[in-house]
Amino acid sequence: MKKVSLFIPCIVDLLLPEIGEATVRLLSRLGVRPVYHADQTCCGQFSFNAGFRREAARMAVHFLEVFGDDEVVVCPSGSCVNMVRNRYLELLEDEPRWLDRARKLAPRVYELTEFLVGVLKVEDVGAAFSGKVAYHESCSLLNGLGVSEQPKKLLRAVRGAELVPMRDADVCCGFGGEFSSRYPEISEALVAAKAARFLESGADVLVLCEPGCLTNISGYLSRHHPDRKALHMAEFLARNLAS
Amino acid sequence: MDIKTDRFRETVRKELVNPETQKFLGFFPLVLSAMRSATLAGLPDSEAALASAAAIRAEAVERLPELLEEFERNATAAGARVVWARDSEEANRYICDLAREKKVACVTKGKSMVTEEMGLREELEKAGIEVWETDLGEFITQLLDLPPFHIIGPAINVPVETIRDIFHEKAGLEEPTNDPVQLGYAARKFLREKFYRAEMGVTGVNIAVASTGTVINVENEGNIRHCKSGPRIQVSVLSLEKVVPTMRDAFHMLRVLCMCATGQSLGTYASFDTGPRKAGELDGPEELHIVLLDNGRSAAYRNPKTRDALKCIRCAACLSVCPVYGKIGGYPYGWAYSGPMGQVVNPLLLGLDRTEDLYGACTLCQRCKAACPAGIDHPRMILYYRSRQAEGDSELKGKGAPWSGKALHRFYSAAVRNPALWKAMAKGLRWAANRYEKDGKISKAPGPAEGWFRSRDLPRFPDRTFHDRWKEIEKTLERGEKP
Amino acid sequence: MSADAREWILSRLRSAPGRGQGLPQRPPLPPLSAFGSERALLVDTFRQKLEGVKGEFHQVEDRRALCAKLEELFKANGVRRAVAAADSVLAPLDLARWAAGIGVELRTPADFTDPAAFKEALFREADAGLTGANFLMASTGTLVLAHDRGQARLISLAPILHIAVAPADRVVADYEPVVAALYESSGSIPSQTTFITGPSSTADIQATPFTGMHGPRRLVVIVAARL
Repeated sequence: MKKVSLFIPCIVDLLLPEIGEATVRLLSRLGVRPVYHADQTCCGQFSFNAGFRREAARMAVHFLEVFGDDEVVVCPSGSCVNMVRNRYLELLEDEPRWLDRARKLAPRVYELTEFLVGVLKVEDVGAAFSGKVAYHESCSLLNGLGVSEQPKKLLRAVRGAELVPMRDADVCCGFGGEFSSRYPEISEALVAAKAARFLESGADVLVLCEPGCLTNISGYLSRHHPDRKALHMAEFLARNLAS
Repeated sequence: MDIKTDRFRETVRKELVNPETQKFLGFFPLVLSAMRSATLAGLPDSEAALASAAAIRAEAVERLPELLEEFERNATAAGARVVWARDSEEANRYICDLAREKKVACVTKGKSMVTEEMGLREELEKAGIEVWETDLGEFITQLLDLPPFHIIGPAINVPVETIRDIFHEKAGLEEPTNDPVQLGYAARKFLREKFYRAEMGVTGVNIAVASTGTVINVENEGNIRHCKSGPRIQVSVLSLEKVVPTMRDAFHMLRVLCMCATGQSLGTYASFDTGPRKAGELDGPEELHIVLLDNGRSAAYRNPKTRDALKCIRCAACLSVCPVYGKIGGYPYGWAYSGPMGQVVNPLLLGLDRTEDLYGACTLCQRCKAACPAGIDHPRMILYYRSRQAEGDSELKGKGAPWSGKALHRFYSAAVRNPALWKAMAKGLRWAANRYEKDGKISKAPGPAEGWFRSRDLPRFPDRTFHDRWKEIEKTLERGEKP
Repeated sequence: MSADAREWILSRLRSAPGRGQGLPQRPPLPPLSAFGSERALLVDTFRQKLEGVKGEFHQVEDRRALCAKLEELFKANGVRRAVAAADSVLAPLDLARWAAGIGVELRTPADFTDPAAFKEALFREADAGLTGANFLMASTGTLVLAHDRGQARLISLAPILHIAVAPADRVVADYEPVVAALYESSGSIPSQTTFITGPSSTADIQATPFTGMHGPRRLVVIVAARL
């Protein structure tokens, strides 16, 4: 079994560390003991998306220095994996040595559900939940990485859970990183629509794989529908693991 | 057309609460998108059809100068007059001079975004020439002096009462009516007289064919055919990226364009012109002038990172899937082109600085790229524009990020590369944010994230980061306990 | 001015960096329709597609049945004056004489010497335009008209009713034979070719669809087994 290295997004480290803890709990329950490089910080997506490529390139180099020799890297965020697998290749195009390392690392970096279903070949993690669950398809995960079936397989395998359809599940929730603060009216219109679809679906909980989307949707629910909850996939599964 | 790209934010605010806009955005893009999907699903191999289209556009852009020369040669041999224009001013001047020389009093125009870009109508009117937009949607926006709401339905959101009143005032509507069909027939009657009288017809070009010198238009109403049948002079404005190598390529692109735009297998009328009318023919133009317009396209071509913008076929598939367009409609983009393709094209033609909100207001969801039959990677180009604006770029007219933005990202970059600094930053961020905490959450905080809090909360920043917790987590794993 | 602009534009394009990286691989062009070439099937597919875009379809055996159908259509639509193309389908049929016999004035391009009078007749007088068709494309329900003196453009555009007649052997599956015949053969290319798929239509006002915006409100296609 290859050593699994944890890639914990900056937003998880700083704001939602329980997602990281849940990821470790889940992996450990499945027989994986991950390592965590303490020098890791951020993939650089924040600066890259804002147009600051020089700064983002330095962050990419740091990332490669930290993770470059790992055999398998697992991350509970599609957008971070998209940054590393896809955007690094453009970001480092003027630095052939680092570009080469990025190319070599890319196929070894997995989003969490990609890893569970595609590499560990697990769909039933041993979780149970009696209730209805809806799933939000985060843009980077769906359109950037092509990951859609894996999260749904995991949810369908949860004993007692019913995965219900949610209209516009694949429409953007309006986070887009800085977009949510810089264009708040548009962002609000999108997250309000997402929340409405969640409520319409009749699901007891909304599950998703992206910490950014989670912060956005939960933040809106907290203000407008405080009794309704959204959860990261890692947390949903880890919390409901049968003892 | 007036450039209002810098009024993005205020126009967004208006449109988000405009009931007509929101009503149409609630179904029109979805219907178009569903029709597109349904028609593509009916093909024996839709993926291959779209891949072919992308390959044709890639070849067209790669071979652009050679194809333009070939087009010019063949069009000229068929009797057309091919004219090159560096910018809108040159193109407008040629067309106005031509109209004056030929004593043109009335011009009928087909729907053409490139002529909006040029502001051609306004120039002809300044020269004292009567100009009529003849596509029903554009006729309405002309009378109301409105920008287009959507590439396919420029006035689809305008209430019938507004149309009734303006038709009564300016289009000879005698019996006031709210019936869209009767209003349409009134427009037909009014514009029919213009088609009859006009001495010059102006059209754009959907596709130009290099191997035969043919220009192609596709439409549903018949107004473009009228512009090409009645008047003695036809002017077709060809924005220089619209050329493809062969007639088979052109027909394939025509089918893909129709399928991706409206879900039609083919538009009602596709008309292919190769030269003006031949001797003895009873209708059609005596003279066909094809104006090849650059207006910033050769500049886009010269940069390998922006060249792909020229692959666009103006099908508007991207508009119908964009979550941002789906909430704000066409007006905020402030110019001839809207939606994701407007985010890609307007900055190249107008400069990065005055279009900052266009490529700024994007969540990078990538749906546009997935829907594009021409193979354009919109998010990649949008990210490129952001980087050129942040750094400053004289070619692309990007003025550079303000000092505060640079400082923030330099600091962040330093913190990312230095774990001790990262830890300090985490502490500072926690302290700064949690000052506003109440009951475990933050509902209001001034500063750069102020917009967030208008409709959302944030959880309080936890006292210990994941980094801080790792030691304990690791110990639990070592003990074989459940973390 | 144009010559300077030409040189300026072309030299900028030719000297653009990063060109000549090789052409992208062209995937094999798939057919956009998937059915064979059996005549009856093609005609029926054409009918389905035409009716799907609000065109009307009739099938007749021969010239006699065609005239009966035309008379029926003229009566139903109040046609007193019509203009017919003098194309390879209609010219041999000598419809002007037949029409006079049922009290309909039917003129053809031969009856006009100048474009102004022709335009007047098509815009102000004709209740219907009659044409043949070079091809009927089954995959999309499309008429192909290659315009020349006999097939004047306004005939299928200005009148409120357009009736197109074609023998069944002009029905093809899709666009390949049309392109080959009109653009890849040794003959001269038409000044204009129009592909007509249904009557004129729009939904530009509040997304309410209707036909007869600027072109014909009704499109009728009559396929004859033989003429």
